[in-house]
Amino acid sequence: MNRRILLTTALAMGAALLAPAAQAEWKPTRPIELVVHSGPGGGNDVMGRALVAAIDEAKLSPVRIQVSNKVGGGGATAASYLADKKGDPHVIGIFTSVWITNPLVQQEANVSIRELTPISLMVLEPALMVVRADSPYKTMTELMDAAKANPGKMKQSGGSPLARDALVRTVLQAKTGGRWAFISFPSGGERISALLGGHVDMMVIEPQEAGELIRSGKIRALAQVTESRLPDFKDIPTLKEAGFDVPNPPQPRGVIGPPGMAPDVLAYYVDLIQRANKSPGWQKFLRDGILEEKLLGPKETLEFLTQTETQMRGILTESGVKLVR
Amino acid sequence: MDIFAGLAHGFSVALMPSNLLWCLVGCFLGTIVGILPGLGPAATIAMLLPMTYSMSPASGIIMLTGIYYGAKYGGSTTSILLNMPGESSSVVTCIDGYQMARKGRAGAALGIAAIASFIAGSFGIIALSLMAPPIAAFALSFSSPEYFALMALGLALVVLLAGDSLVKGLIALLVGLWLTSIGTDLFTSQSRFTFGQTSLLSGLDFMVVAIGVFAITEVLSSISDQEETQVLPVPKGLRNLLPNWEELKACRFAFANGSIVGFIIGVLPGAGASIASFISYGIERAFSRHPEKFGTGLPEGVAAPEGANNADTGGALIPLLTLGIPGGGTTAILLSALVLWGVKPGPLMMTESPDVFWGLVASLYIGNVMLLILNLPMVPLFAQILRIPVYILHPIIFGVSVIGAYSVAGRVFDVLMLAGFGALGFAMARLKFPVAPLVLGFVLGDAMERALRQSLMMSQGDLSILISRPISAGMLIFAVGVLFLPLLPRFRRLKEAAG
Amino acid sequence: MTKSIFRDGDVIAGALTAALGTYITVTAARWDVMGPEGPGPGFFPVGYGIALIILSLILIFQRFTAARHTEEDRPFDWAGFRRAAITWVAFTASTGLMPTIGFYISFGLLTLFLGLFVFEKPLKKALAAGVLSAVGFYLVFDMALDVALPAGLLGF
Repeated sequence: MNRRILLTTALAMGAALLAPAAQAEWKPTRPIELVVHSGPGGGNDVMGRALVAAIDEAKLSPVRIQVSNKVGGGGATAASYLADKKGDPHVIGIFTSVWITNPLVQQEANVSIRELTPISLMVLEPALMVVRADSPYKTMTELMDAAKANPGKMKQSGGSPLARDALVRTVLQAKTGGRWAFISFPSGGERISALLGGHVDMMVIEPQEAGELIRSGKIRALAQVTESRLPDFKDIPTLKEAGFDVPNPPQPRGVIGPPGMAPDVLAYYVDLIQRANKSPGWQKFLRDGILEEKLLGPKETLEFLTQTETQMRGILTESGVKLVR
Repeated sequence: MDIFAGLAHGFSVALMPSNLLWCLVGCFLGTIVGILPGLGPAATIAMLLPMTYSMSPASGIIMLTGIYYGAKYGGSTTSILLNMPGESSSVVTCIDGYQMARKGRAGAALGIAAIASFIAGSFGIIALSLMAPPIAAFALSFSSPEYFALMALGLALVVLLAGDSLVKGLIALLVGLWLTSIGTDLFTSQSRFTFGQTSLLSGLDFMVVAIGVFAITEVLSSISDQEETQVLPVPKGLRNLLPNWEELKACRFAFANGSIVGFIIGVLPGAGASIASFISYGIERAFSRHPEKFGTGLPEGVAAPEGANNADTGGALIPLLTLGIPGGGTTAILLSALVLWGVKPGPLMMTESPDVFWGLVASLYIGNVMLLILNLPMVPLFAQILRIPVYILHPIIFGVSVIGAYSVAGRVFDVLMLAGFGALGFAMARLKFPVAPLVLGFVLGDAMERALRQSLMMSQGDLSILISRPISAGMLIFAVGVLFLPLLPRFRRLKEAAG
Repeated sequence: MTKSIFRDGDVIAGALTAALGTYITVTAARWDVMGPEGPGPGFFPVGYGIALIILSLILIFQRFTAARHTEEDRPFDWAGFRRAAITWVAFTASTGLMPTIGFYISFGLLTLFLGLFVFEKPLKKALAAGVLSAVGFYLVFDMALDVALPAGLLGF
């Protein structure tokens, strides 16, 4: 069975590569459900709605695409919903890195992202390491030296221990030998408030969230967690440039389908996403959100996800999280 | 731009005919969204967002924010009429609001809810326009120990909610604490009490629990007691459908209490309107001259929580507009809307986009008046709902409850949980366990555990962090004081009245 | 007298919550109660689990010592309980049917069933209530508000 899926997937990808767009045989006949795992206003939901808006604006889909919020379990609810929709051509979803990490640590999150049908990776979300503007630490080196000099005394605000901000801490701690506390807060607002109020010393934050606070001089960026400098933050060194050559835990977002997606259906969605990616609405969303465009086909996306899973496994083990798979 | 010039400019924006219209549209939609449990303001705003791309940012934010605070106005309607909270911030309103309806004062309760919303809402807006930046600084000074003390104070109020048996009240509270810890632990990703169910990883939703133990339980109890054809009395004549002077006078303190408590808690990004309404209700009861009558249909028991959840709006907008920090789901989507329109929410917004900032603030004043005018005439109309015969009304309550539970995450699982909580609430009612402490424990437990663990991580395990900070120490002392309240003579009557 | 005390609501409830408290405590004790980075996921549950056991025992104890006489011995309202139980079972069953027949039909059937067997209305009235409320809900929530509800195999 698996082999057949692989084979058909490969064929579909071949077809998609050779024959662009218009020749895809399958067309949706009823509204498409786009599953996101966060509630309205969450990152996953915002991306889903932006994608739908961009597709609508450029009139790329003959049917309506509806965002449906399957909230909870750090993506597990949405992933298992998709897994149940095996073979249904009118359901797709938006995945993020928690869809990879969650099944590694939670027994109940039993749908691996590789059982589903990855369609396209679309964006990589960059991040910044920031401190409060009146913090004594002006560079990444100063911050890390201070953390080393006062083991356990310094604090970082962040989200779940599986989230990218926690993983950045793990790789930095492993690299520098420093040790600091990671204080979890459920919402981005609380994490930033803790930093602005001076209750924690540092935070790993998405540039879009931090942009205005940096511009108004409330917080200062010390480094960016990216491979190369973002155009909006030309003066800020990457972690590597700042002297910390650590792997950058990625924050990928993309589109995924239920298991057993037929090749012509897959080809249709790959084409749709490719065209959506070029649409002005989507490009504006990437610019406003300071997101890195990273469009990959189904095969490359699967490869990327498999690689990322291996990388995450390593980092999570390093940070002392118990893996169940 | 100083505040008054800013406000004047804001009114010139908000009073433009098109913006007045959008404000009305937002307030109207918000009221409907608030009344129906199936629709939440966050989902509605997300749905309407694409429509606003072609509007000016000021018009767009005026309309979408109208939905946000309009929903809080509307949320009390079903709480009072059907014992079914329309929004999570209206859960407390069920306690006294529904009892007022049972006594034939449904119209009065709805009127008081609208008036309290107006007064406290206006207070929140005035405070927002006059002192947003210093208040934002105050909010930032709140760290985990302060949050812990605030939640502890809230939990201490349980001694006032417990009714005739303190032991039973505490047991209900602990069960509420347990229910709220079901799901994934934020700090470690350890799943707790999930029985291997993927559906439980994200925990139970507050609305599912609240609708279950209030609305479903009420229908089951009423069927069990075989209350005949018409559920509740509805007096004839418009005059008897509106609050009378004595009822309004009884609410004086509640209006002020709701305004201040709601606003202050609203400013804090880690709290929220449901916590504000609970604490305001508890404080109202703690300082009341007849605490034993709470829960039997007191107008101030409606005014305090309804005021608090509307004053919360002005407070919650402060971190959003001055720092770009959203305090909850609905403000998060307002934030992403601002970003989409190209407005940069943050410390510079007030000076760089005065049209949007002051236009929005001015529209809040206007919208609040609109909501009062929209809501008061509907009161006599809504009260007529109770004339529907039970064999139609009870299934309707079931249907609307199902929609409310299902729309939380689009899962039938939540509807089954709803049925489960209906049964639990019914069993508790038969065994004379009070249900309010359970809901209180559910609302506060999670936030309290989190704040305690954050505090101890910050202090490396040193408990003194909780009492060495003045605000936190003050609130903890107050919480301990509340625990001893039942020993006061006026609270003794509570026991006598019940026993 | 001894026999009735075991049928007493407080004793049964106390036993149940004591069992729940034991389950909570035993389960939570297996997680980290106190870790190197502060209190773990077991810290809070162990605390309220133990408190729950103690309070439940107090509740049972109170029953055996003090208020044996205070409560008037009203016979349990079995008829009322039966009506509520039937209603609850019907409600839960209609929920279970939703994925198959959709929200609107299952809601109409529930209204019909309750009208007939719980409120004991004539068939005509109950049928009218069932059909009208299902159609009314469809008009309000599907046509006007476009709220997504469980759809059955027929697509609505």
